Amino acid sequence: MWSILILIFLTLCAGIAAWLFFLWAVKSGQYDDVERPKYRMLDEEKDEKIKKQ
Amino acid sequence: MQKCDHCLLEFPDREAVYDEVKGQRKVFCCNGCKGIYRLINDEGLGEFYKKRASWVPGPAEDKPVDTAAFNEHIMQTGNELETDIILDGIRCASCVWLNEKILYRTIGVTYANVNYATHKAKIRWNPQETGIDNILARIKSIGYTPKPFTSKAYEKEMENRKRDLLIRFGTASFFSMQLMLYAVALYAGYFQGIDEETKNIFHLISLVLTTPVVFYSGWPFINGAVRGLRNLHFNMDLLIMTGSGSAYLYSIYEMFSGGKVYFDTAAMIITLILLGRYIEAGAKGRASQAITRLLSLSPKEARRIVGAIHELPLRSSESIPISSIKAGDMIEVIPGEKIPLDGVVMEGSSEVDESMLTGESKPVSKSAGSDVFCGTQNLYGNFIFKVNKTAGDTVLSQIIKTVEEAQARRAPVQTTADRVVGIFVPAILLLSFATWMYWIFHGSFTTDAVMNAVSVLVIACPCALGLATPLAILVGTTKGASKGILIKGGDVIEKSKNIGIIVLDKTGTLTEGRPVLSSFKGIGMSDTEALRLASSLERLSEHSIGKALVSASKALELNDVTDFKAYPGRGLKGVINGKPVLIGNREFMESNGIDAASDRNLLSEIESSELSGATVVYLSYEGNLAGTFSVSDTVRNEAADVVKMLKHKGLDVAMITGDNIKTAAAVAREAGIDTVKAQMSPVEKAEEIKRMQECGRRVIMVGDGINDAPALVQADVGIAMGRATDIALESSDMVLMRNDLRLLPYAVNLSKKTFSVIRQNIFWAFFYNAVAIPLAVVGILHPIVAAGAMALSSLSVVGNSLRLQRG
Repeated sequence: MWSILILIFLTLCAGIAAWLFFLWAVKSGQYDDVERPKYRMLDEEKDEKIKKQ
Repeated sequence: MQKCDHCLLEFPDREAVYDEVKGQRKVFCCNGCKGIYRLINDEGLGEFYKKRASWVPGPAEDKPVDTAAFNEHIMQTGNELETDIILDGIRCASCVWLNEKILYRTIGVTYANVNYATHKAKIRWNPQETGIDNILARIKSIGYTPKPFTSKAYEKEMENRKRDLLIRFGTASFFSMQLMLYAVALYAGYFQGIDEETKNIFHLISLVLTTPVVFYSGWPFINGAVRGLRNLHFNMDLLIMTGSGSAYLYSIYEMFSGGKVYFDTAAMIITLILLGRYIEAGAKGRASQAITRLLSLSPKEARRIVGAIHELPLRSSESIPISSIKAGDMIEVIPGEKIPLDGVVMEGSSEVDESMLTGESKPVSKSAGSDVFCGTQNLYGNFIFKVNKTAGDTVLSQIIKTVEEAQARRAPVQTTADRVVGIFVPAILLLSFATWMYWIFHGSFTTDAVMNAVSVLVIACPCALGLATPLAILVGTTKGASKGILIKGGDVIEKSKNIGIIVLDKTGTLTEGRPVLSSFKGIGMSDTEALRLASSLERLSEHSIGKALVSASKALELNDVTDFKAYPGRGLKGVINGKPVLIGNREFMESNGIDAASDRNLLSEIESSELSGATVVYLSYEGNLAGTFSVSDTVRNEAADVVKMLKHKGLDVAMITGDNIKTAAAVAREAGIDTVKAQMSPVEKAEEIKRMQECGRRVIMVGDGINDAPALVQADVGIAMGRATDIALESSDMVLMRNDLRLLPYAVNLSKKTFSVIRQNIFWAFFYNAVAIPLAVVGILHPIVAAGAMALSSLSVVGNSLRLQRG
């Protein structure tokens, strides 16, 4: 019985952690622009990298 | 002809500017383009030229940016300042990339982010190192126009509402997912047995997980249900709340009396319906931007003439804000500028691009006495005009007002689901009451009777109902998008079900929107020779008629022209092989002493081609009339077929245009349209649509210009063509992304089909639950049945919606 309760507790913790992460994501604006990211991979940013190296 | 390496525009050789960039010889149309090309390369952003697909940046305006309007939106964050601005001119992902890079390289800027969807840039900078004026100048220097971000309360609210919905839906999903773990365990328990203690723990956990879903995620529904009840209106919210709420309360009661619980039903109803709402919200909320864009068309400043207009040497001009200009003031307009107000030209002449008002692509010539309109673009000449209307009364502001009013008037559509619910809810409440009565009179315990009555409510609520409409619309719009039809929001589909009449704009919709040479004739020389001479001259002009001639003579070798001179709005002069050549309209010929009206046969020919909607230009060689050219905007090839198809579907087809009746009738005849309304101003177009609606007909309007915007908003469904102006795009409900009229019948078909799928979905959403109601009435409802009904109806709705993907 105890093992079940512990496991239940763990799943609840994991679930709530995911939920809090989701809340943070929405509030910090991760979902505000869903158009741009799909083009990000096309930006090569080559010059930037060379500078850093 | 040369092609500019920066802006990709074609231009005559004589204007070419050359430059050496990174060892390569580049050619530009002006010093402005050269400067920007250098700037972009010097910044190491030459990649831009490889990235850009089809977009062409406009020339940077050299007017200084008025920073006053931006200052009030600057906020302090820590040691830094922050502001939001709108970047005008963002067309593609490369623009976003370029702006961000340029901003990041400005000394003092610590953060720059450009939102591709809204064109909004968030910039943070250190006030010790740079200022807003410097940042704005940087943006301007690469050809984009920064505009203050005047967030309207409405837009902000829409944004907040969407975020709120996402949080509520996300919360509901997370808790429902957790809940399902225990629900499945409990279902297993019903079949295989489960010990009391575990069952109680699982019940308790289920209760804890369901509570936030019902009360937090479900709060908008509780609110809506209460509001509805106050008005004695049985709405969808009430159905959701009776379903979910009764399942929740019933489960709590059963939990303590050791019965069966329905927590999963309570949570899933809300989760699924929120999912539906979120899908819907994705497509909405763009309309309000149309007005902001319209307002941005009109300039904010004007050059007022100081001193009397006739004292040439003494007069000068000053830039002052539009709002302080009064009727009667003299305003100077230079080439490339937008005309700031409505008025009458007093001095000078030019050609003006009025396409944003009229949709007509041909530039209109202006000289003393002509009317000019706010927001239109001056092309070649300088002129001075007298203001006759102040900023609030211009034609443009009237259009803005009409769009605003029409948008505000737009009644929310009562969706089919709402109507069904309006009947269903009272019916279920009655049935539940009847169940209670039945059990009371058959000697049951009061609690048992109440529980049976409540279980009717629990099973009756169709979970899939919330998905029925949005899902069908999602699949339908995706299908449309793959064919090139953009449908903005689901209400469009519901509105297009009983369309009676379809109204088409002429220019750019029924016609190609660009003039082509339709016929030409040489007089005293061969036809090709005449065309060769005319094109040689027209090649040097930028006029749209000239372009039509030049593109028709691509196969010919053109002559060199010397002593070229253009007379805007009238004609061109030049010398070819040492002989004078003129091309232009009849007045131009006559003023140069050439008789264009001597031949009677020719005259009647010209008249008939003018009657068919063409513009005629004349060519003279060595002082004699040498040829005529008819240039017309051709009717699209597919137009007649499309009109026939629409008529075949039982729709009436009409045409509406700002053009004169002669041209309009000619186009209508060719396209097979019987009803024509000509010489309509933008506002009149909208009124005409309104009149049709008052006769009880539902109207589709198809158009592409700003002049169609009021009509597009007024119509039940406004459809914009692909090359339409931004305003038309935003005022419309649907966009045909390819410039092909054949998409129109397809779009009408698709929305009809989608609508019938919505109706079927609503049926399936209710079906399984309705079938299970008798079980509840006789008091043998089991949670498995409720779960089964939920799953089956959801699957039917999803499956049925997916049918739209075929065909």
